[in-house]
Order: sequence, then structure tokens, then C-alpha cells
Amino acid sequence: MFKMSEYSFIAGILSIALAIVMYAVSFASVRVARRRTSLATVGGGSMEGGSSVTVVTGPSNVATYGTLLAWLAFIFLLASMAFRAIATGHGPFANMYEFSIAFATGVVGVYLYFERRYHQRVLGLIALPIALLMCLYATTIPATADPLVPALQNNLLLTVHVAVAIVAYGTFSISFAAAVLYLLQAHGVKRLPRAELLDEISYRAVVIGFPFMTLTIVLGAVWANVAWGSYWSWDPKETASLVTWLIYGSYLHARVVRGWRGDRAAWLLVIGFGATLFTYFGNLFFGGLHSYSGLNNNG
Amino acid sequence: MSELTVPNSTAPAGGRTVVSEPTAETGGRMTIRPSDIGDRLWRIFTSMRTALILMLMLAVLALVGTLVVQAPAGMASDPQAYTAWLDTVRPKYGGWTTPMDMLGAFNIFSSWWFKGIIVLLTTSILACSVNRFKGLWKTAVHPRTRMTAVFYDRAPHSERIDATVATDAALTDVTKTFKSHHFRTVVERDGDEIAVYADRFRWAPFGTLAAHISLVMILVGALMGSFWGFKNAEFAVPVGSTVDVGNGTGLSVKATSFSDSYYASGAPSDYAADLVVYRDGQQVGAQTIRVNQPLEAGGVTFYQSFFGAATDVIVKDAGGAVLFDKGVPLLFSSNSGTDRIGQIVLPDKGLTVLVVAAASGEVDPAIKAGQVQFEVYKTGTSTPLGIQVVNQGSSASLGGVDVTFARERQFTGLIVSRDPGAIFVFGGAMLLVAGLFLVFFFPSRRIWTRIVPGPSGAEVRVGATSRHDATFGPDFQKIVSEMQRSLVGTHSA
Ligand code: HEM
Repeated sequence: MFKMSEYSFIAGILSIALAIVMYAVSFASVRVARRRTSLATVGGGSMEGGSSVTVVTGPSNVATYGTLLAWLAFIFLLASMAFRAIATGHGPFANMYEFSIAFATGVVGVYLYFERRYHQRVLGLIALPIALLMCLYATTIPATADPLVPALQNNLLLTVHVAVAIVAYGTFSISFAAAVLYLLQAHGVKRLPRAELLDEISYRAVVIGFPFMTLTIVLGAVWANVAWGSYWSWDPKETASLVTWLIYGSYLHARVVRGWRGDRAAWLLVIGFGATLFTYFGNLFFGGLHSYSGLNNNG
Repeated sequence: MSELTVPNSTAPAGGRTVVSEPTAETGGRMTIRPSDIGDRLWRIFTSMRTALILMLMLAVLALVGTLVVQAPAGMASDPQAYTAWLDTVRPKYGGWTTPMDMLGAFNIFSSWWFKGIIVLLTTSILACSVNRFKGLWKTAVHPRTRMTAVFYDRAPHSERIDATVATDAALTDVTKTFKSHHFRTVVERDGDEIAVYADRFRWAPFGTLAAHISLVMILVGALMGSFWGFKNAEFAVPVGSTVDVGNGTGLSVKATSFSDSYYASGAPSDYAADLVVYRDGQQVGAQTIRVNQPLEAGGVTFYQSFFGAATDVIVKDAGGAVLFDKGVPLLFSSNSGTDRIGQIVLPDKGLTVLVVAAASGEVDPAIKAGQVQFEVYKTGTSTPLGIQVVNQGSSASLGGVDVTFARERQFTGLIVSRDPGAIFVFGGAMLLVAGLFLVFFFPSRRIWTRIVPGPSGAEVRVGATSRHDATFGPDFQKIVSEMQRSLVGTHSA
């Protein structure tokens, strides 16, 4: 089972990498094609509406293969997690290796949901590399499966806690991707999706992610209460997740405050994603009760 | 998403100019006389900008709390310990240590900055909730059902259908379409003009309200916990002994057994203790507790936390009266680390007895395995009245008392806590999550329709105000095109 899990994981990494290549090729070729067209129509200038044209929608085979590969990657990563869960008998929460694969799976899964919904593959050019980096990071961590220390043995609660966190992290990655494109577009990069569409995608992603992030924190508090006798102890990881939550909460308010829409809201999303990563990698910087990093065992 | 009563909030991110909600519905807005300081404060506290800035400030403070080492809880109340602790971080922060300490950087979460922002935020949340309630209620219960033609001219979502059927048939089709999308409809006639108001999930905006109120509930629960709760994280109960919980609970707890087990690698796999809880001698709870399975009894929760060695000791006075007969947890470690030490205080005699044993895995040449050393002091002094090593089952006479080492034991270390606010915190948390899922996954929808006779059938106009809700536009289009299909075509004479 461990072997199966590992093979699926490697297949997943390769699929993501290939999907990125496909998306990049398709994006570049559409750009080139567009440029040719616009050169050809100079004078008419009809294509120079530029930013309002949606990119990568044509019957581009390369892009379709990219999507196929992204789906494959998602399935491989899921399979890898499933095999490992069967082998270890618990959900993907015992160490950073398991959690990083789960993170990557979440990013790919949420990306695919948004691709189906909005058909903006250019998002994948930012989201999939995030997933790839997560996978590569996982390969640097020993994939050992140590038995669970007592504090981690409350399976169901922890599995749900992590599953919900993964959805939140995945959606925040997508809102980050859309925000980056929004900012690039606002600063002159041509032929990206319309600003309003990118803004809508970011918002949609946060709207899904925020309740999930809230639930993650609440479940974490329930777990802490059961395991340590207090629902909140300002443990650095808890506090970092609160920072993340507050930033996305601010974003939801920012969208209705004049002067905070557009650029500033997009920057909040970039900062929010920074906070998300900080929360995620937090174990490496600070100690604390979250002992699953595999670096300490104070459960 | 939800209805707004904040004036500047109906425009979408794209910055288009849009029609705001009809003013008849934006109840709860205050008339503002800038000279009036109360009104001004009200305006500040109900402003979304204020909320935004306060939330970001809180985020920055919390971030500082993760980046700067925080003093252990309770440390600040003990100036001596705190100064000593401050010296341990001085090498890290150098000359910044003192100014940082003055700004509360090492105690962020009890600093005035933090408390101040929490108070302001709570005030603001309450003000916003009050401010919005009337408008939300009106929108849900007494919505404006009829719109003038101008509304349809300017509404951000607006369509016009020239039906091939007459007004009454059009009404049937329009309501049918709305019904098939699970909308509720309200029909109003005025002469030959028919107004159809349709809404869906009209209670969902209360989810936002619930979410905001739940935040206040969580904070209130946290405050209650800090006022009326207690937490003792170092509560040791030797197996076979009964220990009072104290803190005004009237409870005592007995450990009847303890076991610790390990994986082959040496990592712990399980700690389990059998506990019985009494109130005035009556059993009020009993359970095997493990790390994730605490026992709740008499309003107090007992968590398995740590464990260690204990000894059963009997102390008698010169006349043979028993002064003490219980397990003593060896909670403390000697400076050298080779010994574990337990303490018995005999207040009536003004004596303190120390029980010293070699720590497990350590060798103390003076105290062998199976032996303990008793040291008797006058309480508060450090010169022993007598010291003696004894074997299990033997006694020693020291400082006028007779001390017996009855047997070796283990103790189980518990966290004992009572938190009367926790129920509010978790209740609030559930409300928060439920509210957020309600608002975001069941977005409220409102669409107005106006049917008037036209040249060749009914003229149907459909309109909706803008929301910063990404799925509304497509949904609106879908409904309109379905109406179009039934209004133009199939019914055509
Ligand atoms: C930690 C504090 C807060 C959190 C976590 C929070 C959370 C949220 C969330 C998640 C929403 C989105 C719901 C929706 O779009 O309908 C929202 C909306 C809103 N919040 Fe807050 N909020 C906080 C504080 C405040 C404060 C202090 C105010 C008052 C100034 C406020 C006023 C509003 C209003 C008026 C809306 C409705 C906006 C809309 O309809 O889109 N919030 N809040």
C-alpha cells in the first residue's frame, strides 16, 4: 500500500508538471495567434479590445490535454492519499508529508472546479505551480508513517479538521491566482481575462473558503478542548490561522467599501495567501502544540 | 450577498454606477446631524471602513503575537519571575527588549492595545447589527413588491420581453418560471399593471447578522471563562489516593489505576487512568480517561495529561495518631536531575516532609531502587531537622514525627478545568459557522417583474438590483431566458 501510494504520488507530480507545460504552451500560442490576428487587423483594430477578450477558449487541443492531465493529477493524488490512509489507518494529518500532499490535492481539486465553472485556464498557470511546489516540498520530507501519539488519536475530528482546511487552502490559492492576474492586468499585462471576471473569481473563491476556514478553526478549537482542556491557548499556529481568517474577513468587507475595491482588495488576497502559507509552514518556525510536523513529539 | 443598509455598498467591484436598493427599504439608516457627537460616533461605528480597519489592526497585533515570543501565561502577575523571564529573551531582542516590553509586545493578548481593539470591534459589531436589523427584517417580511418603470430602466440586471400573450397568461408563465426555480412570488395588481415580486432564501441575510452576533457571543463566553473559570494543569493524583479539587467545587477525585503503554519504537501509544469523582462522599462520576477522552463530572472536566512516580506515605505523631496517610506525587525534579521529589505539608505541626527517590533511569548512589529518603524541615526553613533513607515498608523518626514508606505508586497528572463560558463559545462558534454557510451557500435572491399590456401582447420587464454575488448574473439570465421561451412562442395565437 505504501508503495502504491508513492507511485500514485509520483504519477500525480508528473501529471501536474505536464499539465502546466500544456497550459503554458496553449497560453503562449494563443498569445502569438492573437498578436498575428491583431497585426493583420491593424486599422480595423477590432481585436485591440484586448482585455475584454477571454483567453484560451478556442478549440485548442493542447489546452484540452492540459485539463485532462490536471484531472489525472487530481485522481492520482487522491489515490495516493487513499492508499496511504488505508495503510496507516488514519487521515492525512500525522505529518507534513501527508498534509502537503493533501494541500496539493486541494489546490488541484478547487482549481478544476473553477476551471469547469469559469473556463479560465490561465488561472491554472498560477494555481498548478503552487500544487507542484507543495508536492516537491513533500518529497523532501521523509515519508515515514510513525504510529500516532495519543493526542492525534481522535481520528474523526482530525480528519474532518484537515479535510476542511484543505478546501479552505485550495480556495485561497485560487483567489490568490485570480488576484495576481488582476494585479498583472491592472498594471498593463495584456490579454488576461477581464478585471471584473477575475474579481468575481477571487470573490467566489473566498466566499467558499471563508466558511471552511472558519469551520477549520472551530474544529481545531473543539479538538484542543478535548485534548488539552482549553479551546484556545494563543498557540502560534492557532494565532496565525486567526490572522489569516481576519485578513479574509477584512477582504469580504473591503469589497463593499469605496476606495478598497479593485487593487487594494486584490492586495489583501495576496497578503491573505501569504498568511495562509505562514499558517501552514508555521510549525517550522515556532514550536507549539501542533506536534504533527514530525519534528517533535510532545503529544 | 445580503441586503445592505450601508449607503455606499451596492456598487460592484467593477465600479459601474448602479441603482441602490429602493430607499423605502433601507430602513435603519440614521439621519445625521454632523454637529451631534452621538450621531457621529454612531456613523463611525456602523461604517464598514471602521470594521475593516479594526479587523486589519487586530490581524497585525495577532501577527506580532506569532512573531515575538510571548511570556508564559500567568507570568506577568509575578514580577520577579517575569523579570527573570525577560532576561532569558534579552539576548534575542537586545536593546529592543525594554521598549518592546513597555509596548506589551511580550504579552500582546493581554495588552491594552489588544483589549482596546476588541472592545471597539465588539461595539462596532453590535452597532452594525442594530443598524441593519430593521432593514433586514423589512426586506424579508415586508418587501417592496412593486417597482416603477424607472427602476427597470436603470437596474443593473434588467430585461424586457415582448410577450405574444396577454397579461394574465404572461402572469401565469412568469410565476410558473419563478416557482420552478423555487422562488416565492407575491403578485400585486393595479389597473392593468401587474407587479410580481419573487424572492428566494429571504431569511439568508440573517445569517450575516447571526454570524456577527455569534462573534460577540464568543467574546462574552471567553470573558466568562476568564472570570469564573479555573484551570489547573498540574493536578497530580497518586493511584489509590483521593485529592480535593478545590476552587470552590466541593469535588474530590480518586485514581483507582493508571497505565501507560508504548509502541515498539518507544513512542507513547496510550495513557489511561480510572477516575472516580465524589461530591461530599457521593460518587458523581467515574470513567477511564485517556488523552482524548476526558471525564466530565460536577461541572468540572478532567483530562489525562502527564504521569509519574508517587509513594504512599504514612506520618504519625509521637502519640501514634495518624497525621497523613496518602500517596505523594513526586512532582519535582532535583537540580541535578537524578532525583524526583514529593512534598507533604503538615500545617498543624508546622512541618514539611520531603520524599526523595531516584528518578527512573537515573542512579543516585545514596538512594537505591526501592528506597526513599525522607527529609523533615520546619516549614519555611532550609535546614533539615532530620534526614533518613528507608526501605519500602520501613519507618523513620525525624523531627518528632514517625514517617513510613508504605509502597511505591504511580500518579496520574490531570488538567482539571471548569469553564462556564465554554458553552457560549461553542454555541457561538456553531452559530457562526451555520450563519456563514447560510449566507454564502444559500444566497438570497430578489427579482421584480412588471407586466403591462403592450401593442401585441404583454410587455414584461424583469429587473434586479446588483449584488456582489458572482452567481447572481447567470442565474438571472437563465430565469429570464426561460420566461422568454414560454412568453414568446409556444403560446402564440
Ligand atoms: C471580526 C469581525 C467581523 C467578522 C469576522 C465579520 C464577518 C463578516 C462576513 C463574513 C461578512 C460577509 C457576509 C456577507 O457578505 O453577507 C460580513 C458582512 C458584513 N459585515 Fe462583518 N464582520 C466583522 C465585523 C463587522 C463590523 C465591526 C461591522 C460593522 C461596521 C460589520 C458589518 C458588516 C456588514 C454591514 C456586512 C454586510 C455586507 C454585505 O452585505 O455584503 N462587520 N461580515
